[in-house]
Amino acid sequence: MRIKAKSKGDITEVKAVLKHPMLSYDQAKAKGKEPNFIVYINAKVDDKIVYEASTSQFLSKNPFIKFKFKGNHKGKEIVISWIDLKGNKKEGKAKIK
Amino acid sequence: MQRRNFLRLGLGAVVLGLAPLSVMAKNYREELPEVWKIKNKSDKPDDLSGINEAIKAIFGTDKVEEGKIELYKTPDIAENGAVVPVNFKTEKASRIALLQNANPEALVAIWDIPELGIPDYGVRIKMAKTGTVVVVAEIDGKLYKASKLVKVTAGGCGG
Repeated sequence: MRIKAKSKGDITEVKAVLKHPMLSYDQAKAKGKEPNFIVYINAKVDDKIVYEASTSQFLSKNPFIKFKFKGNHKGKEIVISWIDLKGNKKEGKAKIK
Repeated sequence: MQRRNFLRLGLGAVVLGLAPLSVMAKNYREELPEVWKIKNKSDKPDDLSGINEAIKAIFGTDKVEEGKIELYKTPDIAENGAVVPVNFKTEKASRIALLQNANPEALVAIWDIPELGIPDYGVRIKMAKTGTVVVVAEIDGKLYKASKLVKVTAGGCGG
């Protein structure tokens, strides 16, 4: 997972790339594989949710997400987690600059 | 004595009132499993019937006004349907849904906007063909939308 998080004034902006094939039902059928894609993403700072998305097969491969939240959190850690259709979980961390 | 009991009662009420609202994570794959299966009804880029059905299933109504939410950095023409950037923003919202009619099913994602959230978000999506992208925001209990036709010159199904 690649995460870039930056606080400027009272706003923190995050850009992240999550590594996942995001195989839709149609793509999986064509490739003779099982469909699997990220279904839920959240981001936390100080254990508090700052971003939360439920997602489908139609996010691009290796999904890119961009989001903003309130507050200057320079120096703190942001934790982004996802779960896919098969129940695999992944967590990525980055220091907010 | 009576007064003391009364005060005690009052204190109890205050403590109850301060009980923290649980900050629960919301996974719509589990909450609303059926909405993800709602199909687009035709190949026409202007047929929003599948999208509207999904909006009703998510928000409980399909009464949606134009405005208050803006789509930006979303292309008129996408040369690669496998990676179509979609960005949107609104001043505030409690929930936002992103839908389209370029794929078999209509729904792309649902966001719950947390207390600290600023609803200015971006994602990249797959579009198998030319279609309409719709973003719906729930603001003070009402629904608002923005939509845009995105022409796809190479489909996103090859992956």
